[in-house]
Amino acid sequence: MPRYIVRRLLALIPVILGLTLVIFLLVNVIPGDTARLIAGEYADEATVEQIRTTMGLDKPILVQYGNYLLDLVQGDLGRSYQTHRPVLEEILTVFPKTIQLAVTTEVISIVVGLFLGMSAAVRRGSLFDRGITMFGVLGLSIPQFWFALILQLVLAVKFGWLPPSGYQGGFDIYIILPAITLGIPSAGMMARISRSAFLEVLPQNYIRTARAKGLQEKSVIWKHALKNALIPVLSLVGTDMSRLLTGTMIVESVFSWPGIGKYGYDALFYKDMPALQATVLVLAVSICLVNLAVDVLYAAADPRVRYH
Amino acid sequence: MEQNRYLPKNKKYRWMLESGAPPSGSLYRDAWQALKKDRAAMIGLVVIVALAALSILLPMILGLDPEAIESRRVVDGKNLFPPFAPDLANIMGTDQLGRDIFTRVLYGIRVSLLVGVVARGLTMIVGIVLGVAAAYFGGWVDMVIMRLTDVFLAFPVMLLAMVITLVMGPSLFTVCLALVVVGWPDVTRLLRGQALALKEKEYVKASRALGASHFWIITRQLLPGCLSLIIVSFSMGIPGAIMYESGLSFFGFGIRPPTPSLGNMIADARGYMTICPWYILYPGLMLIIIVVAFNILGDGLNDALDPYARKRK
Repeated sequence: MPRYIVRRLLALIPVILGLTLVIFLLVNVIPGDTARLIAGEYADEATVEQIRTTMGLDKPILVQYGNYLLDLVQGDLGRSYQTHRPVLEEILTVFPKTIQLAVTTEVISIVVGLFLGMSAAVRRGSLFDRGITMFGVLGLSIPQFWFALILQLVLAVKFGWLPPSGYQGGFDIYIILPAITLGIPSAGMMARISRSAFLEVLPQNYIRTARAKGLQEKSVIWKHALKNALIPVLSLVGTDMSRLLTGTMIVESVFSWPGIGKYGYDALFYKDMPALQATVLVLAVSICLVNLAVDVLYAAADPRVRYH
Repeated sequence: MEQNRYLPKNKKYRWMLESGAPPSGSLYRDAWQALKKDRAAMIGLVVIVALAALSILLPMILGLDPEAIESRRVVDGKNLFPPFAPDLANIMGTDQLGRDIFTRVLYGIRVSLLVGVVARGLTMIVGIVLGVAAAYFGGWVDMVIMRLTDVFLAFPVMLLAMVITLVMGPSLFTVCLALVVVGWPDVTRLLRGQALALKEKEYVKASRALGASHFWIITRQLLPGCLSLIIVSFSMGIPGAIMYESGLSFFGFGIRPPTPSLGNMIADARGYMTICPWYILYPGLMLIIIVVAFNILGDGLNDALDPYARKRK
């Protein structure tokens, strides 16, 4: 297993190289003169020229890319054009807030979704089951930016139950609205997957055996069925976690949650290239790491899965 | 009923008994039969067709103009100014400029359906070509294409799409292009898997031994074998494309006003949420209806085209 992890980590290197190249090229064809952007609107031509030279922006693009890679290897992600602070520092303050939001959402979605899916599978074909199936489809079909605004309008503006937006350090009422917005599709998907996983497991022979030896239905479901139904759920958690980490941009900008999604959006808005490059890079690497973690957990949960 | 003794008693297969004969003909005829029995999927299909027809025909017949402005209205000798609440003349009300929201929603539906079908269609073409090429030719072709999918799958989707539309300038075309760039790796992987399995089939090996050209094998044997997968993947990908388009338009990276799209209408309505809540309500509801319709149709197609899924239900 450790060898497998090391091999996967090594395989990440070409992926990350490719990523940096694509994002570097893309960012560099974004219209707009970077040196002029930094110097400000009223700077004279000589100042702009000087900035261009000191930042190496007059060099050929491949040389610029080489310099970028060299800096990257040394842990230097550049300085933000907007705040003039090191990007790495800024990312380290915003990313934990996104992780906090994503993990909170994921944990609640797993619990709610699993429970709903399980109950639906046990009462297969009932009205409740159909309701859950509907919820699954609907959860996936609600546009998040719209849902976020409607929640804001109804729960915050109209009734004043919750604050409309903001961040006060984390696990307080400010996290409720963003977490609901992000969590509805996750819980819906989770309910769907766990329902079909249970339907797959329930007719199996070992479940019949468990029932036949006189176990209570409760322990059949919670012990024997749950453990086996968890495997597809686990792989969903992986994809969902990377969706949550990278898909927070909408929710974060609507609810002014100062995470990496909002940071990336602002960087794009102000054409802050170092910040944008770093955001994409950090998010992409975390997607890869989450995928790796899921594959490892997969092997731990399902002894039939073997990696070489 | 004697001859039907051996037919399944399963409710889903009741149609076999009714038609008096076991299912015959091709997978696709069976699939269509199964789809017709799937009530949810048929509702989805009907809703999509109806919305497409309405959004194209109604503005033509009634001569609706999405940019027509009703700047004031006189009721009982008093001047009223927009936004106007929903009534008989404007069933979804008007926005803050006095433009009819129903008309603009109709035009927004056009954009959504167009982007969904075109962007997903182009994504499928790119994904099919690359996926089948990777599977069929193997070797370094496979290596290069698969490493590229690795790279593109690692990108944060929304941010990548935004960067692309920013680089190319926001328009209907660049939105489609951005959606192709973020969508092709999944399709490529899917098609590669299926094509790899088909490539090892005896009939493909036989054709190759008989000297069939690559082009003939790919178009006559591999692609038809992948057709169910292609149909399902195409239909399942449409809702995602529609959602991303509306998201991009919401942030100003997609369809730009004054051209109405459901996403940019919601962005516009955001500033007037408390004054005219109907403005933000209807485009969003319409978006949900479209996406739900495509989702349940996709699920139905998936079940209908997968003989195993059909049995499991």
